[in-house]
Amino acid sequence: MEPAVSVQGLGYRYRGQQKPALEGVDLEVAEGEFVVVMGPSGAGKSTLCVSLNGLIPHFFRGRMEGEVRVRGHSTREGRVGEFAREIGLVFQDFEAQLFSTNVALEVAFGPENFAVERDEMERRVNSVLGQVRLEGFEDRQPATLSGGQKQRLAIASVLAIEPRILCLDEPTTDLDPVGKLGVFEIAEELKNRDDVTLIVVEHETEETLDADRIVVLREGRVVADRAAREVLRDVELLEESGVMPLQVTRFFHEMGLWQGQLPLTPEEGAQEFRQRGWRISQERHRELVDEDEERTQGYGEPIIEVGGLSHRYPNGFAALEGVDLTVRKGEFLAILGQNGSGKTTLVKHFNGLLKPTGGTVKVGGEETTEQGMLRLGQSVGYVFQNPDHQIFSDTVSDEVSFGPRIREMEGAEIKERVDEALSAVGLEGRGEEDPFGLTKGERQRVAVASVLAVRPEVLILDEPTTGLDYAEQRSMMELVARLNEAGSTIIVVTHTMWVVAEYAHRAVVVREGKIELSGTVREVFSREDELWEASLRPPHIVSLGNSLGYPVLSVDELVRVTEGG
Amino acid sequence: MDPSLYLDRDTWVHRLDPRTKMFLLIGAFVLAFIFLDPLYELVVLALVLIFGYMAKSLENLRRIWFILLAVGLLTLVLWSLVGGGRTPLFLFVELESVLYGLSIALRIDTTIIAGVIFLSTTRNEEVAIGLVKLGIPYRFAFAVTTALRLVPTIASTGFTISQAQRSRGLDLDSGNILQRTRKYVPLLVPVFVTTIRSTNVFSMALESKGFGAGGKRTFYLRTALGGRDVVVLVVFVVLLAASVALRVAGYGTLEGFSG
Repeated sequence: MEPAVSVQGLGYRYRGQQKPALEGVDLEVAEGEFVVVMGPSGAGKSTLCVSLNGLIPHFFRGRMEGEVRVRGHSTREGRVGEFAREIGLVFQDFEAQLFSTNVALEVAFGPENFAVERDEMERRVNSVLGQVRLEGFEDRQPATLSGGQKQRLAIASVLAIEPRILCLDEPTTDLDPVGKLGVFEIAEELKNRDDVTLIVVEHETEETLDADRIVVLREGRVVADRAAREVLRDVELLEESGVMPLQVTRFFHEMGLWQGQLPLTPEEGAQEFRQRGWRISQERHRELVDEDEERTQGYGEPIIEVGGLSHRYPNGFAALEGVDLTVRKGEFLAILGQNGSGKTTLVKHFNGLLKPTGGTVKVGGEETTEQGMLRLGQSVGYVFQNPDHQIFSDTVSDEVSFGPRIREMEGAEIKERVDEALSAVGLEGRGEEDPFGLTKGERQRVAVASVLAVRPEVLILDEPTTGLDYAEQRSMMELVARLNEAGSTIIVVTHTMWVVAEYAHRAVVVREGKIELSGTVREVFSREDELWEASLRPPHIVSLGNSLGYPVLSVDELVRVTEGG
Repeated sequence: MDPSLYLDRDTWVHRLDPRTKMFLLIGAFVLAFIFLDPLYELVVLALVLIFGYMAKSLENLRRIWFILLAVGLLTLVLWSLVGGGRTPLFLFVELESVLYGLSIALRIDTTIIAGVIFLSTTRNEEVAIGLVKLGIPYRFAFAVTTALRLVPTIASTGFTISQAQRSRGLDLDSGNILQRTRKYVPLLVPVFVTTIRSTNVFSMALESKGFGAGGKRTFYLRTALGGRDVVVLVVFVVLLAASVALRVAGYGTLEGFSG
């Protein structure tokens, strides 16, 4: 039988680039298969996606070598629009792909282009919205949907063309844990249908367990193309390739198990752990809890005090209701919750972007409403999620000096602060570079540096790791942890649960405008049922520890407390 | 923040064929432009507002009241100062130039309001269908509606970006005009970069969904000229004809104004 997709010797270099994005890629995907493509930023994953439906070579400018065949047809021949019937492509940036005034019209756009009859179109809209669980949303405006719903709508709008192959480019990057799950449930169902071939680019390893095969790309080349479970057990390969290995697998790998025996999921892990007769040392676990306690004692005086805070938006929506929270100097606080829970609304009160409609917010003992944003910005720095929403200068140092300049500091002082901020984020000596030529991870650092240059006492980071690969996420969080050790108070808003587990000290869970849980990360993550209710899932290693009765936060911690191995 | 103007309401105006609504819009422009007497302009404005009220769309005016006021006042003041006339009012301002300014202000505001009511009652997709049914190629019709859609999208990106820059201490509200203009650079650059980036994804997504794949195309929305459209069109054509007749007969002009 003809493969669904056949890629032979594919190479591609974008115009104006020195290095090729893809080089000598061979790949075959059989009909009905579920293949996951993984790899670090810049490995060529997205380039591969756009090669599959003819956007390369027809839309992009550059040099293509080799050949891509989709169900027998070479992408060199024919137009992109014609391939849409064979292969559906959903892009990472789901916001930019939705343009209709309601959900039904969004889904109908594809079939309209192929002159599908009105009755058939209606049938498809209904059936596809059912598949992505958006029944009843037909008349809603796409802009009013949550992130997960938008991504599901983007998938539906492609499914309505009834392609035989579906390619999703990082479909879960921007979503909260439950939004991610919703997308993967759809993938799961599609996988069970023999007539749909699924190709998913993904960087979250926990989501790839159901795949048939995993292809790992590195620097434009395929470095592994094997059965999913085999690749997932190859901890060293994944680490070398800048992909986060499964935590449970890494734990058993570090405990010295042979590769073929490595368990993958928390359930498999718990079973293996017990079978081997390993135990958790109560004494050493006690040490971990004591260390948490000691750290909590060490915090300074309260710096942010929130009392009975409510916020109602002009359209009447009550985003926050009766929130009480105290943040002390030196804390590393994570604010968790699903999209729309109110967590971003909460932190926007800390630097005065929003004013309370009820209750008070005090920073440094004084109400925010008395201070004004310029002065508040001196004590509370806010790094927005998308660095491209703030970068505007021609050089990195101009960008970083914006805060000090606007506060009318002197030349020497500005220079000192810029140098200090750049070295804090690991960009020393790169002040003269053009920020738009940097990678996303580096631009994120520039954004952090530009806030640090004002030397705020509190640093708020909104989704600091979204859109970064594993290595970039690690180095970003190492940076944040260093700043915390140097005395900054840190508040992160994030969906990335392992980041919270490994780096934050305290976690607050916001649900429907109220604080649901608050405590040390260890306490909060041990309450798995309540987290589920708030649409959150702790990372695998935490689940494993919980099921053994001892909450741990990282692989290293579990290694430290395990006895008998 | 909801970036789009369309209000999903079930009124008889919403149910009109998009071609009828386009005709009404152009007709409203004609009405606003043929008269010069502020009283007549006021009547046209009142008609447009009544129409908007029936379409349950006047709430959108709250979003643009500042623009309406600013444009209206500016026009009034400018023409009062620049225009000439017969009857001195005070200093070098004449009655006729004030009246003329008032007319032009009403005229501009009326056209803006009519446009807003049109966009509040007509989906982007309907505009496209309407244009196609009038014989305009789909690609061009789609480009027009994309431009309409881009305005609110850019506005909402701009809002996020202004929050990001204000957090860094950008203060847009002080300084003279030149200083203020320079302060908008931190907003404009990211707005351009973000918009260009998302437009790029948008056009790729279009191609990937078969945009322009074949010559023929069907439409999910059902639109047809019905009895209601005929009634509305007839009434409106009579109104237009009567207005033109009035104007030809010499009513609704402004005596004694010299530019």
